[in-house]
Amino acid sequence: MILKEKIEEVAKLMRIELDDHVVYLDRVQKMIEYFDILDEADVESEKLSVQELPIKNLREDKHIPYEERIIDTLKNYKGNYIRAPKMI
Amino acid sequence: MNLAISGLKYIEEIKNGNYTIEEFVSKTLEQIQKLDGKLHAFLSLNDKAIDQAKKLDKKIQKNEKIGACFGMPISIKDNICVKGTKTTCASKMLEDFVAPYEATVISKLKSEDAIIIGKTNMDEFAMGLTTEFSAFGPSRNPWNHDYVPGGSSGGSAVAVRALECVASLGSDTGGSVRNPASFCSVVGYKPTYGLVSRYGLISYANSIEQIGPLTRTVEDLAFILNIISGIDDKDNTTVDNKNEDYLSEIDAGVEGKKIGIIKEMIGDGADKEVVSATNNAVKKFENLGAKCEEISLDMVDYSVAAYYTISATEAGSNLARYDNLRYGFDFPLEGFEFNSYISKARKNFGPEVTRRLIVGGFVPSAGFAGKYFLKALKVKSKLTAEVNEAFKKVDLLLAPTVPICPFKLGEKIDDPIALFLIDFNTVTANLTGKPAISIPFELSDGLPIGIQLLAKSMHDKALLQAAYALQNTVHLPEIQL
Repeated sequence: MILKEKIEEVAKLMRIELDDHVVYLDRVQKMIEYFDILDEADVESEKLSVQELPIKNLREDKHIPYEERIIDTLKNYKGNYIRAPKMI
Repeated sequence: MNLAISGLKYIEEIKNGNYTIEEFVSKTLEQIQKLDGKLHAFLSLNDKAIDQAKKLDKKIQKNEKIGACFGMPISIKDNICVKGTKTTCASKMLEDFVAPYEATVISKLKSEDAIIIGKTNMDEFAMGLTTEFSAFGPSRNPWNHDYVPGGSSGGSAVAVRALECVASLGSDTGGSVRNPASFCSVVGYKPTYGLVSRYGLISYANSIEQIGPLTRTVEDLAFILNIISGIDDKDNTTVDNKNEDYLSEIDAGVEGKKIGIIKEMIGDGADKEVVSATNNAVKKFENLGAKCEEISLDMVDYSVAAYYTISATEAGSNLARYDNLRYGFDFPLEGFEFNSYISKARKNFGPEVTRRLIVGGFVPSAGFAGKYFLKALKVKSKLTAEVNEAFKKVDLLLAPTVPICPFKLGEKIDDPIALFLIDFNTVTANLTGKPAISIPFELSDGLPIGIQLLAKSMHDKALLQAAYALQNTVHLPEIQL
């Protein structure tokens, strides 16, 4: 049984408000309980496969000029900086 | 003029001068005007489509070079960026977001003179399989308006079936192209992972998703794939397909091919009509000269749990950017402290996206990662090994695209597990990176059933050849629009 308090704690860390427990908490719990089926999978000895990307596929790390100032499309900015609410 | 033609037939008609691009595009817009109030396939339309058609007609009149699409009206799922147009992901969060750049697939289509007719409806941020999770209301199945069209690329499938465009691009993370293709009876494709650039696709679960076409015929699908596939230096997961021509030799047939029927995908959870359609498809392949045998993939039983664990985890990371500082909607900063501001901003996500974000934060978190996320990755790894092993014995794998028939709007929306299981037959292709196609096959009680084929990675051409062979055995009644 997944503890609802644990789910609420994670949601809080993700800055998500759970104002409707039926719509959010109960259904999230159902979803996570369904994942318990993974315990039945015989994968203990399985090695994790890491997707390797050949280095030749990476483009050169250089500045690509862009004709517009993307930051201008933001509502909250000052000069070249994004404005954010106060931390305290 | 008949709108119910394939893309290749459209090109032939324009080349032969039987009608102009402007005439066809106008007629298509009339069709949207006539039907979309009910079907709700589109979220926005290109108001310059007629002007673009006129320009292309002038090019033809002057014998100037024109791209391979000849002004073909194509719709685009609203999570793919088309520069200067709204790209909402069917979310209140991005309701007024205008894409400042072009997705690679769009640049490629435009360079071949396709006309982007509009942006199509979808489940919010592609999370869903009925299109009911769109923040702007659901799309409806053109075969019966009381039924869901599938999702998440539901608007794309509806638009293609209802003759509101010739073809569409969707995205497939766990079946989001193939599922609505099956429910609406169009052809839907999830290419080999890396075959089509994801640059400009708004990210959901990067390691498994692909952009894929929805069309009325397999040949049209091959034609579109020829244009949009190939290596892209803006997406380093793309692979070089050496300019493969998917349309040539499409009629090669399946004589002598071995086809494996995935046992787990026609098990207890499948509707009897769907199992019967699958058996009929097997008979048709045998009549075409293929050898069919049953194949068992043990990990399929765990694939949905693995898929949702992995996709939610990646979504949790990808959607963290919607904090309203870098991405989001117009919302003033004043009066909020940092955390409460972001919490307030995240309220603009719909309930399904919010739930999946919470799941995506939970399953990889300290204390639970071993039980969920790492185990899901191991299932993914073992499933891939099982599928690779199967492809040593057979050339193709076959299963119904969706284990159940289309269902009514609202019927399953409150049951997350019932919704999960609709993905049962499609997530394997995503988790293993294999190409997969859904082909319209039968109607049951007036609603479509699709058959799915999978092939080895980078064997997309052979997959399309088999799909073409099956398509030519199918004769569905005309849809009444």
